Amino acid sequence: MAVQPMQIREGSPQHWVLRGLGTVLVVGGLLLVATKASDGFISDVTQALILAVAAMSLNLVLGYTGMISIGHSAFFGIGAYTSAICVSRYHWNPWLTFVAGFVVAFVIGMVVSLPALRIKGIYLALVTLSLALVFPAFIKWKRLEWFTGGTAGLQKTTFNPKMRRFEILGHDFFGNLRSVGGKTVFYYWIAVVLAVVGYVICRGIVKSRVGRSLVAIRDNETAAAVMGVPLARTRALVFGVSAGVCSLGGAWTALFLGNIRPADTGVMALEGAITFLIIMVIGGAGHLWGPIVGAFAYVMVSSSMSDWDNDSKIPGLLRPFLAWSKVPPATGVFAVALVVLMFVAPFGLVGLWNRMARRLVAIVPTPAGSAAPTVAEELPGPFEPTDTTTPEGDE
Amino acid sequence: MARFLQYLFDGVGNGSVYALLALGLVIIYRGTGHLNFAHGEMALLCTYVILQIHQWGLPVGLALPLGMVFGFGLGAVTEVALVRPIGKKSPFAVFIVTIALFTGLNWLCGAIWGSVALPTAAPGKAVSYPKLWEVGDRFVRIGGATWRYKYITLLAVVLVLAVLLWLLFSYTRLGLAMRAVASNAGSAELVGIKTSRVLMISWGLAVAIGALGGFMIAGLVNQVNLTLMLTPFLYASAAATLGGFDSPGGAVFAGLFLGVVESMVSQYQPTWVGNEMKQAVALLIILVVLLVRPSGLFGTSKVERV
Repeated sequence: MAVQPMQIREGSPQHWVLRGLGTVLVVGGLLLVATKASDGFISDVTQALILAVAAMSLNLVLGYTGMISIGHSAFFGIGAYTSAICVSRYHWNPWLTFVAGFVVAFVIGMVVSLPALRIKGIYLALVTLSLALVFPAFIKWKRLEWFTGGTAGLQKTTFNPKMRRFEILGHDFFGNLRSVGGKTVFYYWIAVVLAVVGYVICRGIVKSRVGRSLVAIRDNETAAAVMGVPLARTRALVFGVSAGVCSLGGAWTALFLGNIRPADTGVMALEGAITFLIIMVIGGAGHLWGPIVGAFAYVMVSSSMSDWDNDSKIPGLLRPFLAWSKVPPATGVFAVALVVLMFVAPFGLVGLWNRMARRLVAIVPTPAGSAAPTVAEELPGPFEPTDTTTPEGDE
Repeated sequence: MARFLQYLFDGVGNGSVYALLALGLVIIYRGTGHLNFAHGEMALLCTYVILQIHQWGLPVGLALPLGMVFGFGLGAVTEVALVRPIGKKSPFAVFIVTIALFTGLNWLCGAIWGSVALPTAAPGKAVSYPKLWEVGDRFVRIGGATWRYKYITLLAVVLVLAVLLWLLFSYTRLGLAMRAVASNAGSAELVGIKTSRVLMISWGLAVAIGALGGFMIAGLVNQVNLTLMLTPFLYASAAATLGGFDSPGGAVFAGLFLGVVESMVSQYQPTWVGNEMKQAVALLIILVVLLVRPSGLFGTSKVERV
């Protein structure tokens, strides 16, 4: 027996209460982590936030526009190397390198996507795949060793450890670079800011006219062109922005590590691109919160399983099933999860949550210029049938 | 001239493996219209399986066919259990599934056989992946260049296989059915072809050929490790793009051609390209082909209806 969902008009006081509640939960959670959690947990959350930034950028391209990319690790690496080169070779202010990385990745992303007007589907996937494979070779290239540092990499790619401290009521709230704990908190807050910036950029694009045209391109390109969507321009723009957002995570990584070598950064190789993809799909492709939820799920699962190659560390109940594995089972678990998700819930965790939540509360949007509430429309994800007419809240 | 011939002979060796993998990609693409991103990793799993069977004591002559049968089963099961039901929902989802298989199978190989290269060296013996026939470093001398027997045998295997496949496609009922399904699945179904069985066999056949390719490349480098198939897969997909995704002959030609190009650019330009940047050449070729002639050299171009 279906319970009639409670109807809430978009923009009504009740809706604002819900939104406020959500904001309080998120902000409160972030503050609680910064002040109360252990260093290990803070670094897990930080890693999740950085991966979420990268997955968000991928979501923009794949989830909303339907352009398959398995080359975003290259943009992540471009951000890291731009930042590292600017700080290490030209002694830039590290804060500025986030902007520099964004601009460089934006331009390169645009250039990569220029052929995307002709190249689509699996062909674009191939181009981006080779990008992911070529980037690690490129940074090791001997001819560019004077610039990228070659296999030895770059050193001192970080903040000046003697930088000023910001204290609030005598409490070193933002962390500092003098102690391990302080450093963890410091980079945590940078990651939080990057995640917020990434989210705002993605939300700004998705909820705008451009966002609508992206989904139109994804669902039927020819129809979108006929309706007047400039295909080439929109694609190039969104690919550039996506590359730029992805590079933010890379720049953070370079600053955090303090030195960068091609050998020890798997995120900049194909492995990273696939990680972003897994995160985006598990969280929910084509949903704004999908990459964030996916990143937290990913990091929590993989960090709890990271020492499971030692059989005695596996919890007793699971030991008989996983003890045979010579490597930590996280990758295998995610691969299986991905396949299962494609069968039962192609809309990911956030899509699943929305589906459950709207049984209880339906947010009904008020279209401009009309007072009557109409049926809500949530843009469906790329793996879902597009003819869904059931109402669905997004927040 | 001697140098040119030398680089040509070296390139044809790797090119044979690219051609084999590309053939598998093309057979799958013709059947179901999907690019199998897990093709390289499926071949990798088969390569490990062949080694395992051999280490259990069976001769290579038996282990290789068994490995290929395993590959056939792997491909067929993938098509029936994963690709077909999910393909009905959306082609995007199939892409995600092949990516999941890509990481999952690679993890599985690591989980079962560990992340060190196999076979591990026995004391006092050189490491060697089992081969059908041991040719060692013997070679023939042509025009001042040395053409190693191992490269000649690889080329011979690929050419024989290509002829067999051509015979299969041209002169057997199964081949005819496969061509019919590739050209129009709906009509093929209407004239009584069991489309589902044909697709299953296509995937199985493709992965079995991939298993042979994996076996051959493991024989070339004398070991099997978790990253063995990454670069060959990239080249194979470049070859399939260059030859045209629906042309088996094109795939063989382009695979050999890419192998030769790879060998030439990296050896004529050891400082500029060398071993590190030769993958960039593959990227460049993919890009140029897609921009100039998206259907590849021998492929048929698609017409999109609205």
